[in-house]
Amino acid sequence: MKRAIPSFEMRMMLPALLVLASLSLIPFVTLIVMSFSHVKLMGGIRFENAGLENWHRLLEDADVRSSWVTSLVYFALTLGIEMALGIVFALVLHRVVRGRNLLLALAIVPMFMAPIVVGLLGRFLTDSTLGLYAWALRILGFEGDLLAGKTSALFTVIGMDVWEWTPLVALVTFAGLSAVPAPLVEAAAVDGAGYFQTLRYIVFPQIRQVLLVALLVRAMDAIRFFDIITITTNGGPADATKIIPVRLYETAFRFRELGYASVIGILMLAFSILMANAFVRVLGEKGLTR
Amino acid sequence: MDGSNPVSRRSLLHGMGAFGALAYLPFLQACKGGSKEGAAGAAAEPVADVWARYKGTTINFISENTPPSAAIAANLKPFEDLTGIKVNISQMELTKLVEKVSLDFSSGQAGFHVIYADPYQVLAPFSEGLVDLSKFLDKKDSVPALENGLSDFISTQLDAGGRFLDRQKLYALPYDTPTMIWHYRADLFEKHKDKMAHDLGFDATPSIQLTWEQYYAIARWFDKNAKSEIPYGTGHQAKQHDALMCDFSNVLWAYGGDYFQAGPELGLTGTKKPGKSTLSSNEAIAAAEYYNKLLKLAHPGSRTWDWDGVASAFQAGQIAMCPNWHEFAASNEKALPGKVGYAPLPKGPKRSANMWGGTGVGINANASDKEQAAAWLFINWATSPATQFMTLASEKGGGTPTRHSVYARPEVEAAKKRPSQLPNILAAEAVSEAWKPENIGLRPKVATWNQLDTILFTQVSRMLAGELKPDEAMRSSAEKFDVVNKV
Repeated sequence: MKRAIPSFEMRMMLPALLVLASLSLIPFVTLIVMSFSHVKLMGGIRFENAGLENWHRLLEDADVRSSWVTSLVYFALTLGIEMALGIVFALVLHRVVRGRNLLLALAIVPMFMAPIVVGLLGRFLTDSTLGLYAWALRILGFEGDLLAGKTSALFTVIGMDVWEWTPLVALVTFAGLSAVPAPLVEAAAVDGAGYFQTLRYIVFPQIRQVLLVALLVRAMDAIRFFDIITITTNGGPADATKIIPVRLYETAFRFRELGYASVIGILMLAFSILMANAFVRVLGEKGLTR
Repeated sequence: MDGSNPVSRRSLLHGMGAFGALAYLPFLQACKGGSKEGAAGAAAEPVADVWARYKGTTINFISENTPPSAAIAANLKPFEDLTGIKVNISQMELTKLVEKVSLDFSSGQAGFHVIYADPYQVLAPFSEGLVDLSKFLDKKDSVPALENGLSDFISTQLDAGGRFLDRQKLYALPYDTPTMIWHYRADLFEKHKDKMAHDLGFDATPSIQLTWEQYYAIARWFDKNAKSEIPYGTGHQAKQHDALMCDFSNVLWAYGGDYFQAGPELGLTGTKKPGKSTLSSNEAIAAAEYYNKLLKLAHPGSRTWDWDGVASAFQAGQIAMCPNWHEFAASNEKALPGKVGYAPLPKGPKRSANMWGGTGVGINANASDKEQAAAWLFINWATSPATQFMTLASEKGGGTPTRHSVYARPEVEAAKKRPSQLPNILAAEAVSEAWKPENIGLRPKVATWNQLDTILFTQVSRMLAGELKPDEAMRSSAEKFDVVNKV
């Protein structure tokens, strides 16, 4: 009987695959095991069988359900606004001839900041005592505090994320626009296509794959958004900004319920995979990812 | 040194080390009459040897970013010179500290040897991970004894900050003792005293004799009559955060409500079985109704502020008064020199209640014997009268001493009046009143406190946002408490 010998390529890849497996598979399997356990921390980690208790609890937990709803609203708004603004900004930048590099450099500054710094900066700017934005809003007649109202707090933290990451979408889109062949656009112009027709039928089909990359990167980030909310609202007021990563952190590290936190984490992972597949499939059906 | 004024070698080393600079020399002279045990130690001679026995050891201290730790971090050299022990101090926000301590205990290792043991968030859930310090108190021949003994610590705080379940065990030495009191703009109260008395029908000067309803009336008076001088009458730490629980609890207790049937007793030695929650009582609901009414009047930023936020607003001249931790007295004095007064919080139908937020320092039980002994030297030094006095006088913000002997010093007594070299002591009279057993506010010390705290501040935040009525907020809190405590 002949033994199957791994190919040369496989043997070369094996060390890297083993490292990858240890970094992803082992934690993943541990996560699954933890989700069926009570995890005891004192005196070294111990797992005690909990059966389906943690999963059953999830079904009855109205607070986690509410965090998922908030997360979905946050996810849709953040992603939508960042993609729209990023594309518009890239299109504008693409038409600028003089000073384009300077504008681009200025525009991408926010994404080089740590999210925690963006949160601190946002909190400072919106502080009702000394914040610049709060002062501007007072002049316009808004006397409250942006982070004090349920809706305004959610929109404010979304605004901070949009401020930081829209430049990434713009940068990626701009790179895509620069790669659109000029003759194609010129041919469309000769055929009498207007600006929006050219965008719809010539430019966007050319940059779809680039847009997909931007969408996926931002979607993955938006699902695990954490820092800015922690530093600004801590999930409040009235849980209005307690999206699921904040709930997960609280359950795991504040309440030390690692078994239940694992269940929440697994659902987050599943959601990430589903969203990524959905994006690829929707755009793929239109021939965008081929 | 002469016979009439003996000073031990240990005291001298302590004092020299702690003050570290000639600027503190007058205080050092005042220390000389200090310690009886210290004097006895001098006769036994090997005191310095005992302090230097663990030379070469490195210990890590994890602390909340509080003034005493900032002052100690800036003045560690004396301890390191005295003992030859290297100390690394990590300071961070309390939530992060709890997370790191939890992970450290679960690893079975001792990444941190000395732990800032918040009684509610660290001591109660992790008492098994802390060393019972009695073993060092009994071992006087091999490790230095506590100067002035345990009796020098304020006894309520020793129990609340150092013990859990078993009164024979001591897990932490009292390290700081911030307490919530009434901070007010004394200059404005003085200026408008007569008009306020005329309009309100009572003397509005803050004192423990005033009620929370009168506090509300004063805040409203400022809103209506002094808007050009101060934008809002009152401000609060009502962010969805631990701070909101602290702020609300003062009112809850004042109105006769409490978390559990056993009431304040649970704040001393704590329990693992607190029983059913009493947050749905009529008194608790009345407190919630009042708090909801008060927050409608407060500065709109209140719902985004924790204790730092409300202190900044007060110091920026945005509010005329607020309940806050007395350790902010030092920064108040910098921002508004001579303009701030302090009083115990107002009373409700039951009493005046002033949230105590003190903390102890303990030792990680996973540390080796040598590390534990070195850690004992450090916590012994860090809580000694001389070091507490040093932190009190520090430029880093001023500590909140936990020992009777520190408050008894003449220079501390003198600092109660302006101009004060020790601005935190300006609040001492109000704090001393707040610490009386009938006025102190002690949270229940239970292992599930982190969940209970989160439930309460979330439900109260919902109430403030108009999502729940006061009675609904209290009833839902009580129900959730019972689920967490499985009763």
